[in-house]
This record gives sequence, C-alpha cells and structure tokens, in this order.
Amino acid sequence: MAWLKVVALLLLSHLTQRPFRTVLTIVGVALGVSASVAVRTANVEVLHSFEQAVLTVAGPTTLEVSGGDFGLDEQLIAMVREVPGFTAVSPAIVQTAVMLNSGKPGAALQVIGLDLLAEFDSRGFRVMQGEGGNPLTDLLKADSLYLGRTLAEEWHLEKGSAIQLQVGTRQVQARVAGVIQDRSDRVSSWDRVAIMDIAAAQVLFGMVGKLDRIDLVTGPEVEIEEAAQAVRAVLPPHLLVERPASRTRQVEQMVRAFRLNLTVLSWVGLLVGMFLIYNTMAFAVAQRRREIGIYRAIGMTQSRVAGLFLAEAALFGLLGGIVGSLGGILLAQKLVTLVSRTISDLYTPVSQGAASRFDSAELWQASGEGILIGCLVSMVGAIGPSLDASRTATVRALAPGDYESSRQVRVGGLAIGGIGVLILAGLLAFAGPLGGVPILGYLATFCLLAGLSCLAPFCITGWRTHRLQREPVAGVQGVMRTIAVEHAARNPGRNGVTVSALMVGLAIMIGVLIMVRSFRHTVELWINETVIADIVVAPSTWLREANSGSGAKNLPAGWRDALAAIPGVAAVDTYRDVRVEVKGQRVAIVSRDLRMHAQRSQYLVRQGNSTELLNEAVDHGGIIVSEVLANRLGVREGQALEIMTPQGGRSFPVVAVFYDYATDGGKLVMDRGLYQALWQDDSATVFPLYLSAGAQMNEVRHRVADTLRELDGGRLPPLIISNAELRKEILDIFDRTFLLTYVLEAIAVIIAMLGIVNTLVTSVLERRREFATLRAIGGSEGQIRQLVLWEAAYLGVVGIALGLVGGGLLSLLLIKVINKQSFGWTIQMIVPVGALIQAVSLAAAATLVAGYFPARWAAQQPVVEGLREE
Amino acid sequence: MVKLVQLSKAYARGEARVAALHEVSLDVERGEFCAFVGPSGCGKSTLLNLVGGLDRPSSGELLLDGRATTAFTSNDWTVARRDVIGIVFQAFHLVPGLTALENVALPLMLRGDRGRSVVQRAEEVLELVHMGHRTHHRPGELSGGEQQRVAIARALAHRPKLLLADEPTGNLDSHQGTEIMELIRSLAKAGGVTVLLVTHSQTAAHCADYVWTMQDGRLVSRTPSPALTGVA
Repeated sequence: MAWLKVVALLLLSHLTQRPFRTVLTIVGVALGVSASVAVRTANVEVLHSFEQAVLTVAGPTTLEVSGGDFGLDEQLIAMVREVPGFTAVSPAIVQTAVMLNSGKPGAALQVIGLDLLAEFDSRGFRVMQGEGGNPLTDLLKADSLYLGRTLAEEWHLEKGSAIQLQVGTRQVQARVAGVIQDRSDRVSSWDRVAIMDIAAAQVLFGMVGKLDRIDLVTGPEVEIEEAAQAVRAVLPPHLLVERPASRTRQVEQMVRAFRLNLTVLSWVGLLVGMFLIYNTMAFAVAQRRREIGIYRAIGMTQSRVAGLFLAEAALFGLLGGIVGSLGGILLAQKLVTLVSRTISDLYTPVSQGAASRFDSAELWQASGEGILIGCLVSMVGAIGPSLDASRTATVRALAPGDYESSRQVRVGGLAIGGIGVLILAGLLAFAGPLGGVPILGYLATFCLLAGLSCLAPFCITGWRTHRLQREPVAGVQGVMRTIAVEHAARNPGRNGVTVSALMVGLAIMIGVLIMVRSFRHTVELWINETVIADIVVAPSTWLREANSGSGAKNLPAGWRDALAAIPGVAAVDTYRDVRVEVKGQRVAIVSRDLRMHAQRSQYLVRQGNSTELLNEAVDHGGIIVSEVLANRLGVREGQALEIMTPQGGRSFPVVAVFYDYATDGGKLVMDRGLYQALWQDDSATVFPLYLSAGAQMNEVRHRVADTLRELDGGRLPPLIISNAELRKEILDIFDRTFLLTYVLEAIAVIIAMLGIVNTLVTSVLERRREFATLRAIGGSEGQIRQLVLWEAAYLGVVGIALGLVGGGLLSLLLIKVINKQSFGWTIQMIVPVGALIQAVSLAAAATLVAGYFPARWAAQQPVVEGLREE
Repeated sequence: MVKLVQLSKAYARGEARVAALHEVSLDVERGEFCAFVGPSGCGKSTLLNLVGGLDRPSSGELLLDGRATTAFTSNDWTVARRDVIGIVFQAFHLVPGLTALENVALPLMLRGDRGRSVVQRAEEVLELVHMGHRTHHRPGELSGGEQQRVAIARALAHRPKLLLADEPTGNLDSHQGTEIMELIRSLAKAGGVTVLLVTHSQTAAHCADYVWTMQDGRLVSRTPSPALTGVA
C-alpha cells in the first residue's frame, strides 16, 4: 500500500510538471485507441445488427428453406408439411420496396410477407396502434401494411396513413394498418421493417405463386439436423435448408477478409502511438536522471524504478484509453454507416440504420477494451525507457554535469538486424495464405515496417554533412543546417523512434495510396474494356441501396423486343444476374446473349481471345468464371465445374477465366439460352443497348423513355443510364469503399505528427543552453527558429525518404500478397506520381508545421536562464 | 565604452522581489580591463548579463559605446552582440556538434559573413589562442583549457570592442586558469578591447586594470589591480 502511495505521489507530480507533453501524449494514445475501438465496434455492430435482424424476424423458426434469388414455388410448402417433426411450416416473403416522397424515390423499406392469420401472435412482434379496431379486417385488406415504430416516427406516419411505394418498376399505394414493435417493448429489428400478409405481399411484389422462404419450427424432441435432412430429401436439390443463424455465419465468412483488413489498418494508429509513448518516456527518463539517482540512493530498487515509469506510461494509457474509447464510440456511429454501406455495396445487404442501436453492455465492453488496449500499448512502448531508467548508475546520476548514458544505441548492429528483418519480410511475402487469410502477408508487412524502423537510427547518423574545411562555407544557413543535423545525429535512439513513427504513418499512407490508385486504374481499364454498351436500362433500385429479394431487381423480358425496335438501337442484350450457392460459395450467375457479347463487347480473359472463347462457351454449353471464383474453387481453364441447378447437378466446362472487379464474391457467366433451359427463369435484370453508328445518344435515350412509358402505363420509369454514367457510378462505389481507409490513415499520420512535435519539444528543452549560447554570441531569434526548423526538416527528410521506400514496398505487399490472398483480385500496379508528390508534400508541410511551434517557443526562451541550466 | 547610470535589476521570487543589482553606476573607458569580484549572489553575473543584453534592467540606464540602450529591442541587442560584444562563459558553451574552427566561425556566419574570409579569420584567431593545430577537433575531443581557448577565440572572432568574461577560469585548474587570463589580457590589450571580467579568483582579478568589489548588488570599492600598481 505504501508503495502505491509513493507511486501515486510521484506520478501526480510528474504529470503536472510538463502539462503540454502530458496532453500531447494522451491525445496521441487516445487517437490510436479511438481508431481501433471505432473499427472494432463498427465491425461487431454491423454483423450483430445483421444477426439480430435475422434472428428477430425468424422468431421461433429453427430451419429455413430458401431458393436464393429465384424464390420458391409455393406448392413446395405442401410437400414440406408432409415431413414429420415440425410444429409450424410458414411461408415468408422478404422483399425491398422504395418509399416515395412526392413521387421521388426515398429510403428503402424491407417488407416481410407473413401468414399473419397464423403468425400474428407467434413471431415476436405486437401491434402498438390499431388494436382498437378489428385486426382481422385489416389483415385481410390487400393494401394493409404494418410499419415498424422507428420508421413510423421517422417518416411521421401513423395508423391510417397512406404510403407510396415503388416496387420494381411499379408505383403502389399501401395503407398503414398499424405500427409494430417487439413484443417485449425492447428495441429490435421489428422497429425498422414493414410486414404484411403473405397473399398481399405476393400480389404487391409480383410473386403470385412464389415465396422467398419457408420457415419451419421443429418440435421440442426433434433433432434439427435430422429434420433438415428429412426436408432436403423431399425438395429439389438446389434449394437450401439451413438454420437462420447460418446466414449470419455466411455473411461473417464472406466479409472476413474485409473486416480483417480494416482491423489491421486500425492498429496502425496504435503502433504509431506506441512510438509516441516511447519518445515521451525516453525523454522523461533522461530528464529525471538526477531524480532517479536520488530514488536509488534512498533505497528504491531497480525493479521499482522501472515499475514507476511503467506505471506512468500505464496512466497515460489509461487516460488516453478513456478519451479514445469515448471518441471511438462516437466515431463508430459514423463508421457503422460506412462499413455497412461498403459491405452492402460489395457483398450482401446489411442494415444501415443500426448506428443508434448500441446497447450499454456493448458500449461498456468497447470502452473496457479501449482502455485496456491504451494501457497495454503504452506499457509496451515504455518498456525500453523503463529498463534504461532502472539501470541508472546512481553515482553518475547524482554527480554534477550531464549524465552520459553508457548505453548508446548500437546504430550499426541495429541496422544489420533491420536488414535481417527486411529479408525475413521478403521471405514471408512468398508464403501462401493460412486458412484463406494472409496472416504471413500481414507478418511480412509488420517485418517490413520493423526492419525499416531499425534502419532509421543508421539513416539519421549515417548522413555526414560537409565539414567546414578550408573551402568557402555555405554561410549561416549552411552552419544552421550543420548544427541541426549534428544535433539530430547525436540522438539516434530518440530521433530514430520519431523518424520511424513518421515513416510508418507515411509508408502506410503511400502504400495504401499506390494500392488504391493501382486498383482504381485496374478497375478503370476493366470498365473501359468491358463496359461497352451505350445505354443500360435497369430497375430504378439497381446499384442503389441494399436490396433484399429479387422482386425489385427484375425487368419484364418482353421489353427486349420493344427496345430493339427503337430507331437508333442496333442491338439489345438481356442480362440476368442472380445469386446462387456453388460449393458453399455465394456466386453471381450472369447469363446473357454471349454471341452478341462476343461480337460487340468482351470479357478480359486471362488466356486466349474473348470473342473466340465466348462463342466456344455457347457452342459447348460452357461457362466462363471470374478470377476470384476460379481461385476460390480451385478451377482452371479447361476443367469442369459442377453446379447444382433446379434440374439437378450439372457439370459445365470452364472455357475461360476472366478478370472481374464487380464483386469479390465470384461470378460465372453463361449463355442466356443455357441458363433459361436450366433455371426456367425468363426475367431480365438489365438490358444493355448498343446504338447504331451515327445514332445520337440523347435522342435514343428519350425514345427509350417514351417507349417504356407507352409500353406499360402507370409504371415508374426504370433507370436509363448512359455508358459514361454507369462507369462513373461504378467508380463512385469504388471510391466510397476506400473512404474508410483514408479516415484511418489520417489518424495514423496525425499521431505521427504529434510524435514530431513531441521530439522537437524534447530537443528544444534539452538544448536550451545551446540556443542561449547562440543567442549570446549573436544569433537572432529568427536564426534559432531556423535551427529548430532545420532539425524538423532533417527528421522529416529522413522519415519521408524511408516512408517512400516503405510505402513502395508496402504497396507491393498489399497488391501482390495481401489483396491477392484476401480477395483474389489481380491488380495492375501503377505509380501515381502526382498523388505521391501530394502525399510527400503533405507530410513535409505537416512536419514543418509540427516544427514551427517548438521553433517559435525555442526562440522565445530567456537567454540567461538557458545559460544557467546545468 | 560602458556607462551604467543607477542601473538596477530585481527578480520576482514568488510574491517577493529580490534585488540582484541596486542602483549601480559605473563608467568604463575604452580599452580598460575591469574585474568584478565578490561573494556568490552579489550581482556580478547579473551586471555582466545586463551589459551583454542577455537580460533587461528593471530601472536605470545603460550606455554602450555612447549609445543609450533603454529602447533597444531584442534584435538591436542581437546586432550589438554580433558587432560590439564578445562573451566568454565559465562552462565554455561550445556547440558540441561543431569543430573548433566551426565554433569560432559561428559568430561571423551568424551575422551573415560568408566565403573564404570567414575561414581565414577563424583560423587566424585560433592561431592567436594557440589552437591552430586543433581546428578540426570537436569540443568533446579537447581539454577544458583548450575548450576555453576556443571559446575566447570565438568571442574575439568578430573583433568586438567589448569582451565580457564570466568566470572564464572557474572550470579550469590553476595552471590553465593563469594561462587563460594571460591570454585574455594580452589579446585585449593588443586589440584595444575593453574587458569586463567577473571572477572569484584573485589571481584572475590581478590581470585587470581595476578591480571592483561587489556586495549585495552594489559596487562597494574600486581598487587598482596589483598588476597595475606593481605590487604583485
């Protein structure tokens, strides 16, 4: 207890001695913790809300039968009911409509169609309003819709309100028959959905005779897996029978690499924060040598000296952790939207309205973790300085004059070690993924940054500036530079850490920048080579918002002929895009007129000629497979792929593998004729139009709009997108995906800048006497400012140079190893010179700004006090 | 060369004000060598700091080479130290990363001198202090006496009219101390430089033309140096 009191007493005095540095360090740790907490919270929350949505709506359901994008024939429900062991077998429809505000599309609305007569009391929701009337009458009306209470509040709707919805290409009017909420009154997914009777939903979504799911409740004594087998035995083989929770697992599996990448990126801030702590503690030790000597002289053991400094670091971590956790939770509210939007863009629809639903247990857990991370990171960063403090030689510390540490950084040895670590990074880069995750790739990244950090002290001292010989000298600027560089070189340990922090921040920034730009360049090339159609006619919700169900993504096949007859249209393709499961992977099956595509457009095939291969696919009933899917399933050109179709398992020859960047879920393409024969699906997702030579885009576009309006009066017009608009939309989605990356990078760079300020303030404090001397022999305030700025510039130059090398190598690791192993995309590497110049200029400017305030402060220090310093 | 009129300096110590220098008046002629002696805390170094513009007086007037300095800005004092004043410290205060030559050239370069003449002058002054053979050594490679010689060379490099020496022998043994004082005296006399020396050492004070004794921030007596009277 007495020892704790001593620690508390000393810590309090230390923290208040240098309030600026204390605040600086705490802010640095807090930023690192906030990025990590935010990403972790957002990652957990997105999946958690998805899981909650699945489980809440599932209610007592233990098994689901689903047919993916095709839905199910409702006749199947009779077959399932024949299977023993189920207490309930209920039909369900899960579709997306779009709320219309004054005729304009607004927010998406998930509509769940249930057998309300049977399930009104068993699903887990209850009606808040509307209980006064006769619920049965309301249930039976075709336009009755029960709206979740949160949506009702947000949209200012109540029982009896009319609501305009867009379903596919149609505009329909529904009536709010009541407002629903969870039966237990708690916040739940029921608050943000709408439900209606199954029959009405079938009519509304054009799914008469069809269902999206059949929900089953097994009896209490029945083994669920056995019941599932029994159901599978009576159903067509392409249908899925699984537990509701397995949907969450699938999504988790699907977005695993994405989440891992984000998590690793969020740790960069912590890593850079660790450098900051090292710096602060190293300075604290240097500054308190005499104090440590006194502690040792009056009986404090070595381990307690180390403990004292570790406790101080832990306190920084604790305070930083508290502030960072709060910041992280606030940031997470924004990140949830970004993460769920990205996951919805790239993978599968997940709720975006979850931001306000963090429960208190989750928040406490996130805060606790953040504080723990803050303390751990700080203590790890403080290990070196604390050990150094414990080894203080008492006699020398108490003697007058400067304490010359006998433990100098072994610059050469460290550099050789660094080269060793870099070689290890190179070797790790060639290793494959572990369990589909590029663990060794991440390790290679860590080794790369660690190796370059070890080289940092050598780079600082290794530079020898010209000495003032008998040749004419470069004047006062030259000598200021010399003094600044010499001073920086005198402290390779501390400055090495600062330079490393800057290097890590910049390397990540440059590495990710090169990767993103290369990726974007590759996607642009891909778009330019493959998105050829002049106009695309698509459902109004295409490429927009998270959609559940296929109803909103269908266009009538009959439109094809009408579109083909429009003057100026040379050809119309029918493009169908549905999601199915192939060998446990969620895969997009794209069917289209491959001969037309061969003639007018192409796929970027890995080997051979696109036109020939597409024709070959038609001739031989073959498929072409995206690179990502080929890697994932381990198939190559010339091999066969077995796919479960509604007609049973079929083996398709893989005639080509093509590069595709639309989704990382994998894609396979087949001719529309083959697809229709097997899947009996006549719908279209979009119609790509090719114009005749000389046709005016805008004129044709107007004719298309007119034709479609006449074709089906009362329907809402679909999207009629020009080639340029489509390309832009794809790139917009791409840019949105990486927005999060930039936020995390910025945090790391800010922490690195705090490191520069920290180092320079330390440097100024240590050199007050030197600056005072310079002032005494004729140096002006401006010259002292220049001196500090030169030092900042020198550290900046070394950090930026290492950051460029690190960033270049990191981009190679990201493109060739981590991205390839995580997502399977082949990215053509480019060096974005302009963006690199911008990044370097930003880092240089930030370094000088970070140096400016310490420089100004240094120039204002009183000369006499500086000369008096021991 | 230096004229002090009722010059005072007081420092705040908490709520109290401590007078370090109390209405000191003094007139030092050009070329004179004055030593200030007295117990620690008597105000010697404060006096020197005020004359060098390193600190500001609380009241009174200070004339430097005939110019009133009351309105001097920080920049004016910087210019004065570049052109008129040279300072030697007890702890040498050489810039550790620079060689002897670079340290000596520093004041010249700080005022914007450049080219061959800077090196020539630095070498010349180093020769004067008998350090011509150690021009490319850094402070850490020199003995205390050698470092102080370099510091003297640095203080004289820009040909100041006034040399302020604050305990220049305080960190040296008696033999080195004597050598340094002789060096300062001979160089000052040769160049017609006015010297204000603060010291505890009677030996050092003996090199001066006059010795001022200070006590409690006041000048209490002025005696001609034994060297001047021939007593020593």
